[in-house]
Amino acid sequence: MTAATPVSDPVSMYRGPSALAPATPPLVSMRGVSVVFGGAVRALDDVSLEIVRGDIVGLVGESGSGKTTLCRVLVGLTQASGGTVDVDGTPVASQLTGDALAFRRKVQMLLQDAVASLSPRMTIGRALREPITIHDLPQGEALQRLDQILRRLGLPADVLQKFPHQISGGQARRVGVARALVMQPQLIVADEPTAGLDVSVQGELLNLLLDLQQEFGLTYLLVSHNLNVIRRVSQRTAVMYLGQIVEEAPTRQLFDKPAHPYAAALLSTNPAIDPQRRHRRIVLQGEIPSVVNPPSGCRFHTRCPVAQSRCSTDAPALAEIGPGRQVRCHFPYSLDPQR
Amino acid sequence: MTGVATSSPPALVEIRDLVLEAATPRGTAHILRGVSLDIGRGRILGVVGESGSGKSSLASCLLKLLPSNMTRLTGSVRFDGTDLLPLPEGQMREWRGQRIAMIFQDPMTALNPLFTVATHLVDVLRRRHGDITRAQALERARAALVSVGIADADLRLQAYPHELSGGMRQRVMIAMALLVEPDLLLADEPTTALDATVEAQIVDLLDQLRRKLSGSIVFISHHLGLVAQLCDDVCVMYGGTVVETGPVDEVLAAPLHPYTRALLACEIEAHDEGGRLVSIPGEVQDPVAPHVACVFAPRCSHALDACRAGVPALRDLGGMRKVACIRAEEFA
Repeated sequence: MTAATPVSDPVSMYRGPSALAPATPPLVSMRGVSVVFGGAVRALDDVSLEIVRGDIVGLVGESGSGKTTLCRVLVGLTQASGGTVDVDGTPVASQLTGDALAFRRKVQMLLQDAVASLSPRMTIGRALREPITIHDLPQGEALQRLDQILRRLGLPADVLQKFPHQISGGQARRVGVARALVMQPQLIVADEPTAGLDVSVQGELLNLLLDLQQEFGLTYLLVSHNLNVIRRVSQRTAVMYLGQIVEEAPTRQLFDKPAHPYAAALLSTNPAIDPQRRHRRIVLQGEIPSVVNPPSGCRFHTRCPVAQSRCSTDAPALAEIGPGRQVRCHFPYSLDPQR
Repeated sequence: MTGVATSSPPALVEIRDLVLEAATPRGTAHILRGVSLDIGRGRILGVVGESGSGKSSLASCLLKLLPSNMTRLTGSVRFDGTDLLPLPEGQMREWRGQRIAMIFQDPMTALNPLFTVATHLVDVLRRRHGDITRAQALERARAALVSVGIADADLRLQAYPHELSGGMRQRVMIAMALLVEPDLLLADEPTTALDATVEAQIVDLLDQLRRKLSGSIVFISHHLGLVAQLCDDVCVMYGGTVVETGPVDEVLAAPLHPYTRALLACEIEAHDEGGRLVSIPGEVQDPVAPHVACVFAPRCSHALDACRAGVPALRDLGGMRKVACIRAEEFA
């Protein structure tokens, strides 16, 4: 592996472009997006999210909260039933009916299981060249770029002749990254890229994603259930519960002082190894209700330790509670994990 | 192996030089390469390590539920004085579900979809206590569900596994294990399939139960934070060997084996600041490779020629700590 990349400055990594240049138009703008399956399942309900160019936005939430549906909407695999989704200033729906291939190049997805996402019947070389053919890219230029990317990712040249079962898991993950990068995307949607990875190799993948962000000016939406990963690499974090974003904020602010009771409880479940740093966990009662029949009022009120009578009848809207911070709660900051 | 602690009371389970090999198309896979480990009475032992380290195989050996391609099983597993390894299957069945119980990672596949929760629990009790009446068994099953925090226990007794949520199924699994009143409870990644807030509930439950349970627990996990929070002792495995064991707080605060140190360095902690993330270069040991040197030497930044020349013994360094590294004293 060629390790000629500079060590990124931790401070600017944390702030990110969103903190430095708020005036640039966002790469992704979702407004009031809902997705209804089969007329009854509201997988997404009134989701609004902006992703500034060059940022890493983390998306956390439990199973059934709508993370994957949101990713699918962004890459154009699922159509929103309501609301608007703009990528690069143009609605996704019109980009798909126009030049769909151009849109697909712009937004690439990194899949969770890198080995399973490679066809066992295709050599790595064929799998990597196939998108070049499908998108009808100029062969010479694209193959040269692919060659550069493979070298940048530290993949040996002979990997192209191999089949997926002949390469290691780490190489398969880098092949997945190479396949996305050859399209010169602007946005990479990574759905649980570190799930199932041993902790000893997780750092290597995250370092690579961070380096590529700097080198290629990439923007990421990073879905993970690993809160420490999100805290470490993302500039902004959105917390989802039952198809809604309940809080969205700069990552540091969110982790230091979560405003939504669900965010506070979720973040408190993260056990520290050092007993000196261990804090009180907020253990919620019950489990995440079904999206088929969501609770009335605030969707979290059935499990919320600080719910009041208003919460069961009156659905809160996603409201701004500070610069760049929005929360969907009538009583923000009422559940304090430090207490 | 050297160094059996003499000061402490005899352990519930004493594993010595346990070797497990299996035939694969590529050759003999060395799944456990001479594991020696004590499971203390009434203590929770966390077993940590990455995929392929042999954590789950160790649990399989304790239950003697072994793969059919197994070609070698040697060493000893002395449970309260009885070596389980030579026991015939008929006698081994007496141990399972009577003195040893297990909680599996995926409660959906561990529960039988054709039976109600009541049937699962009553079967366990009938097996444990041959003379119990159905009414008595049902009453105890109900009480067990209440003790693991299941509301509407009467209703849930009649439910089938598919009618329950993931967290509820894992509670049923825990209730089944508790009804056995085992001397040894094996929990193999019991919260991995659960969401974070439900995982917190189950960990809380295990934490409460440890005070009621008189037996020992082996908690297998790749999550060091959970092990630190829940366990008394920890055993770090790598490549089918035990590289370090000891009281959890001491091992995690001052790890002595380079692998333990590297593993802790890779963990992203909540107070970490920016900068490069740490990983361990190289790949895990191929199970087919022969066992002639320290298994971690190819990835170890402190490896010497001596590390590649022989298998390091798991040495007793006092204070219940054991480390399989010839340079351990240098890291103290």
